[in-house]
Amino acid sequence: MTVPSTPRSTTPVARAPRVTGARRHRREDRAWRIGGRLATILPVVGFAFVMIVLAVKAWPAFRVSGLGFITHSAWQPGNTYGGTQRVHGVLIPQGATYGAWPMLLGTLQTSAIALLVALPISIGTAFALTERLPKWLSAPLGFFVEILAGVPSVIIGLWGVLVLGPFLSRDVYPIVANHLPNVPVLRYFRGSVGYGEGLLTSGLVLGLMIVPVIASTTRDLFLQVPPLPKEGALALGMTDAEVARRVTIPWVRSGIIGATVLGLGRALGETIAVAMVSGSVLGTVAPNVYGTMTTIAATIVTQLDSAATDGTGFAVATLAEAGLVLAIISVVVNLLARTIVRRAGRMAAPVGRA
Amino acid sequence: MDEVTRQKATPNEVDRALAHLDPDAGRPSNVVDVRNLSLHFGAKTVISDVTIPFERGTITALIGPTGSGKSTFLRTLNRMNDRVVGFRHEGEVLLDDESIWSSSQDLLTLRRRVGMLFQRPNPFPMSIKDNVVAGVKAHGIAKGRELDVVAETRLREVGLWNAVKDRLNDSPYRLSGGQQQLLCLARALAVGPEVLLLDEPTSALDPLSTEAVENLLRTLVPALTLIVVTHNLGQARRISDRTMFFYEGRLVEHGPTPALFESPRDPDTARYVNGLMG
Repeated sequence: MTVPSTPRSTTPVARAPRVTGARRHRREDRAWRIGGRLATILPVVGFAFVMIVLAVKAWPAFRVSGLGFITHSAWQPGNTYGGTQRVHGVLIPQGATYGAWPMLLGTLQTSAIALLVALPISIGTAFALTERLPKWLSAPLGFFVEILAGVPSVIIGLWGVLVLGPFLSRDVYPIVANHLPNVPVLRYFRGSVGYGEGLLTSGLVLGLMIVPVIASTTRDLFLQVPPLPKEGALALGMTDAEVARRVTIPWVRSGIIGATVLGLGRALGETIAVAMVSGSVLGTVAPNVYGTMTTIAATIVTQLDSAATDGTGFAVATLAEAGLVLAIISVVVNLLARTIVRRAGRMAAPVGRA
Repeated sequence: MDEVTRQKATPNEVDRALAHLDPDAGRPSNVVDVRNLSLHFGAKTVISDVTIPFERGTITALIGPTGSGKSTFLRTLNRMNDRVVGFRHEGEVLLDDESIWSSSQDLLTLRRRVGMLFQRPNPFPMSIKDNVVAGVKAHGIAKGRELDVVAETRLREVGLWNAVKDRLNDSPYRLSGGQQQLLCLARALAVGPEVLLLDEPTSALDPLSTEAVENLLRTLVPALTLIVVTHNLGQARRISDRTMFFYEGRLVEHGPTPALFESPRDPDTARYVNGLMG
């Protein structure tokens, strides 16, 4: 039961709610302001917190391994039941030495393969969904693309190791490996193809995982391209492919780069699927694209258990250091992408114009 | 007698010399010939049974209230409607005596020959220079250094050269609306069209820009044939040689522009040109 609160009302009952109402509004206002400020600084604080914790945890490992950590390849936990030694003031197991170069390279290689595979497929998918297919087909297909983005990576990893890997190593890789010439770059596609666990399979699985991420964003971007410039290009006698290449894609280029960075971020950090299909081999660089290897993220998850058995804590510190390297790679990639976006945006129209 | 003979001979020679120079010699005098054209979207008939020739080197204005079908008619002439869902046509549109829908007609070439300017400027997301030569590149008309020449020639042709010569590599979206539309005109002219379709080309422009575009359009004839859809009756009177009045999908009346405006034969035309029907 509300009480009328018109100015003409003079009863105390009528006035009271007005006062509390105003007070409540002031309180709400302040809550909004404070909440807003908190929300603004939360990402910064969160990021700083994570980086600082990682750096603190990694500090002993950094003191021992130095910059050699990212250039060396040996991965030796040492004798965790035997004696310890002191290196640069840090207590470590006898014979322990860690180099992350192979997994660092593996991280970059798998992500690069994933991008090379995923980008054209994603743009093609987005293009088909927005420009080529009739609505009754594109709506459900678009829905499935989004569903694919939500499939847990462990399931994709399982499929990769049980189905895709064996199929590729039996029916596809041998054909490729036996027919490519022995020239630079293509040389890496020759040689032993292994059993389906390795660099190329990991890259392909990662590619599949980031296609929906890039494709669904790119589709939404394509839908925002106004029809008039596209019609202008058609009316000039351009083919559909030329319209796509010269008008539609450039129109949303910075957005596509942003979507690609999102996908790349997922590829760099993807853990379990890669742990399942990479072969999880530490300390060696894959000799060809079929070779077994591992990535930073996969190593952290597969090695954490055994690292905990290192009483000196050096193994855990090393994993923290690997994590720090991965975080730095992600930040650098993001900054690079931003620079590219700024350059690409020079010719771009504000979205929705014309 | 001698004099008479010479006087008779001279114009003939001039005619022959001119005919030799004129690239359109030997072509039909009607560059576009529309015959019994009906257009439908699904069950809806947008244009019914229009027959009209467009004479080479003239400007024709298409006027009529919104929904009269004039824009659809215009967009059909370079087959921009072909891919619209439910679009059907009956009748023929001939370009130089050849049907635009004939199998020997290449769609891309047709659109190079029949260019289009839209109701709002639609520059592509590329530099000003690249905009001008976009079609030229796509059709392989010129390449490399020639493109610079094409860009300068066309920008001069539309009177934009001095305004943009120092920022050819900049984004076109910082130009004013009128300048953008002139840029689009330069882009359309660059591929060497024979016919230019203009769909309310100045409806998004201010009066000064409109005047600039209109003056420019007058300079394009008789080299080109222009067909202009416009809601601006003043514009139709100022720039066109002939005017066609569309109403509810029918071509109600057409004729020389002064005649159609000053002594319309049809009562609907009269009401429309006198502003009694919008």
